[in-house]
Amino acid sequence: MTLGFGDYLSLMGAESLLTGLVMLMILLGLYLKNKNIQGYLALAGLGIALFLSIGADMTKGPIFFGTIEVDALSQFFKLIFISVSLIVVLAGLTRYKDSPAQDEFYILLLLATIGMMVVASSIDLLTLWIGFELASISTYAMAAFDKEKRNLEAAMKYFIFGSVSSAMMLFGFSILYGLTGSTRIAEVAASSMEMMGPATLVALLFVVAGFGFKMALVPFHMWAPDTYEGSPTIVTAFLAAGSKKMGFVAAFKVIFIALVALRLEWFMAFAVLVAITMTLGNVVAIWQKSVKRMLAYSSVAYAGYIAIAFVVVGAVNNGGFDLGVAQNGIAASLMLILGHAFSKTGAFIAVAVVGYMALREGRNNPDDIEHYAGLGRRAPITAFCMLVFLFSLSGIPPTAGFVGKFLVWGSAMDSGLVWLAVLFALNSALSLYYYLRVIMYMYMKEPAGAKIAEPRGYVLAMVVALVAVFYIGIFPQAFVDFASSAAAVLLH
Amino acid sequence: MMDNAISLMIAIPLIAAIFAFMNGKFAKYAALIGSLIPLAISLQMFREFDRTTNVMQFVESYDWVPAIGVKYTVGVDGIGLPLILLSTIVTVLVVLYSWGEKKRSNQFFALLLLNEVGVLGVFAALDFFLFYIFWEVVLIPMFFLVGIWGGPRKDYAAIKFFIYTHVASLIMLLSIFALYFSYRTPEGLRTFDMMTLLAATGDSTIFSPMALNLIFFGLLFGFLVKMPAVPFHTWLPDAHVEAPTAGSVLLAALLLKMGGYGLFRIIMPMLPNVSPNYITLMAVVGVVSIVYGAFLALSQKDLKKMVAYSSVSHMGFVLLGAGALSVLSVQGAMFQQFSHGLITCVLFMSAGTIQHTAGTRIISELGGLADRMPQFAVLMMAGFMASLGLPGMSGFVAEVSVLAGSYENLPIYVLITVFGSIAVTAGYHLWAMQKVMFGPILKKYLDLKDPHSYEILSMSILVLLIIYFGVQPATITDIMGVAAEPLVQPFITLAQTGVI
Repeated sequence: MTLGFGDYLSLMGAESLLTGLVMLMILLGLYLKNKNIQGYLALAGLGIALFLSIGADMTKGPIFFGTIEVDALSQFFKLIFISVSLIVVLAGLTRYKDSPAQDEFYILLLLATIGMMVVASSIDLLTLWIGFELASISTYAMAAFDKEKRNLEAAMKYFIFGSVSSAMMLFGFSILYGLTGSTRIAEVAASSMEMMGPATLVALLFVVAGFGFKMALVPFHMWAPDTYEGSPTIVTAFLAAGSKKMGFVAAFKVIFIALVALRLEWFMAFAVLVAITMTLGNVVAIWQKSVKRMLAYSSVAYAGYIAIAFVVVGAVNNGGFDLGVAQNGIAASLMLILGHAFSKTGAFIAVAVVGYMALREGRNNPDDIEHYAGLGRRAPITAFCMLVFLFSLSGIPPTAGFVGKFLVWGSAMDSGLVWLAVLFALNSALSLYYYLRVIMYMYMKEPAGAKIAEPRGYVLAMVVALVAVFYIGIFPQAFVDFASSAAAVLLH
Repeated sequence: MMDNAISLMIAIPLIAAIFAFMNGKFAKYAALIGSLIPLAISLQMFREFDRTTNVMQFVESYDWVPAIGVKYTVGVDGIGLPLILLSTIVTVLVVLYSWGEKKRSNQFFALLLLNEVGVLGVFAALDFFLFYIFWEVVLIPMFFLVGIWGGPRKDYAAIKFFIYTHVASLIMLLSIFALYFSYRTPEGLRTFDMMTLLAATGDSTIFSPMALNLIFFGLLFGFLVKMPAVPFHTWLPDAHVEAPTAGSVLLAALLLKMGGYGLFRIIMPMLPNVSPNYITLMAVVGVVSIVYGAFLALSQKDLKKMVAYSSVSHMGFVLLGAGALSVLSVQGAMFQQFSHGLITCVLFMSAGTIQHTAGTRIISELGGLADRMPQFAVLMMAGFMASLGLPGMSGFVAEVSVLAGSYENLPIYVLITVFGSIAVTAGYHLWAMQKVMFGPILKKYLDLKDPHSYEILSMSILVLLIIYFGVQPATITDIMGVAAEPLVQPFITLAQTGVI
């Protein structure tokens, strides 16, 4: 069946809209004096894009000469990416209000979002890489957006690590292309299954390393805490909740589709990597004085939790193929990604509020945990939202984070990885310590200053994330179904 | 209305909690109303409850997350209903006792109500997912009650409480998953339904003995930590000593009962199918908790800490009664849960009142308070007498039932308990009472007077209830007996066929 222009527009409606909007905003930026309207434009565009991508028909098959496909998996991730952008834009409305270069912030953010959406939809290595680069380059610039010293350092680190990882990925892809003569992920998988050799392993290694950087798996995680800490906080929210998830969707596509078929015992190696990632992330997070850095390390730990899906699929693959178990494992990880995206975005925005407050009071180290003392009374809404996000991250019901962790525990038990499930549980309890410490400062210490006026955009952003966290936590059915059909895409 | 009695009972305190949180001025009124309505509902349920059968009553069941076999299913039987009644009574009285709370009163009363939501949910949930959610939700209000209104080492106590019990819950959760993934309904679906999964544990084609024993251990561990049984009791004294009075009362009267409830609801139905060594284990841990807890209480200098250890000792009876596997002992253990819930309230309220009137809880620094606080002295005396097992009060009935019921199967254990703990228990209660309340009054306490009327009122109601259930235990033990029978029946059958 040939698809006409109308089909393309309906399938790629969200991407087209956002691309058009970016062009428009660049043009408007040249003429407008008051640029505050740009933020609202971006907001409206993202809002419409959210509906377009949820409503897209997921059964049409590949388009653009078999390089792009709109399916449950791609739409699931687009839902995450667009929502995270939306929340970040809301916060940006306050953060960059009346700043002369604010339109650039929104343009970069939208470009990054488009790149991520392309990655989510790609079924071709080349398209995937292009989307990846579009998102990466935009976020490099965003990390340095405030042009402060620590921004620049963070961005530089991010840029160097990011380009090396992109290069590695590309090198891996090129070997795969050389071996199989195709860049279509499905064809690469089929051919490499037939002629598995040392070269395929080398390619695999490069691809895993490339994605490992983006996902911040140990030992490729070093850049993440520094970059997260140094970037403007709302950009950090976007990096941790959006950009990192792009690494996961790409890894899901390439590692699963192209490489699961290899029937190797690589899953044990991956299991060890996952175990180290979550333990290291949590142990280091405990020692942090800066809440922002603590959340960055908790992100590393989360990368480990999410990557349990790889191990589950590997374990299933290794001993008798039961697709149901593998599907549940992936769906569980997707739910964890969803929960983590909303909770982390929200938590970083709360950090931004505290940082903003501390800076206005002229203190050093705006992210230090000391500034959280008595936040429950100084900024009640922020504190309450932060409380819920932290409980969600630590897996306390009824929140989105709980549902995700619950399902991942279940899937690990189901595939017989009891030791991993137990380790995950212990890690989760360990992480509770540093989350509770922040809560303790917020509610149980005497306030360190007067009550503050909470910036409206930030509050709105947090409330949106809060509603999402509770909604997913209390009514997970629709999302579990969605995640399940997304997981099915990967296994066919 | 009674069709949705349980859901209403859970929802109303939640709504009231939100109101209380929003408006500090009306917080206590919201809390009182929000806890009185559930009390009325639970009393009505208790009246309408069919006492002759063991089937679940007031059942509500709705699909919730069908993708993973989760339903919202709640219902009560003779195991859950007494504890629901206990929770609603205790919450009202705690709200009453705390009527004078000034510090951040909106949050305080909201947390009391949130706690009620959690415990009612635990005692009514019949779906493992739902059960686990409520089980974890309970941690949150208690964490804040200890952490905000607590004593000098509140930070340490609150975090220790949260993490210690959270780890135990996670281990329990992993066991729940092992049950969940082993069983499929005849339609080939997964389910978290508690009754279905527990019934399936009897099927040896589904569960290998090895797997079942491991699963059982995980669940038992979760409940033993919550009860708490020696040697997993170390979080309790810290939490109690630092918690505010209302927190201590809720902790001892309701949260510990969750562990005991798990024992009857989940552990005992599985017991016939697991290694018999577990029965010995439960009885041994029970006896050790009773005796060791009593000795620990004897050695305490702090009145509240003494009461906290007495809880460990008294909860040991629940474990012993459950492990003895006779109808009388199991029924006695269930009644011990109910009765201890009432008695310990009086004890902790006494300790709290002494703390805020006299300014210290150290037993050796107190003396002769009865002289200036006659009404309070009567109530505290009544509470202490009930706790040491004075006939005519509910504690006596419960402990005698447990001991008499256990004698048939576990005579040695009963003897150890009787000789090891009864005298000690009487000793620490009487000694503390004598030192704190009686004797010549110390000069510094000359200007004390009886505490606020709301404190006296809530303690009096409790004492009346204790005496009522001491004289008329059958009001509630009948439904416990009906619930105990099917739990014990498999063992009687096994004994008759000569397997044990």
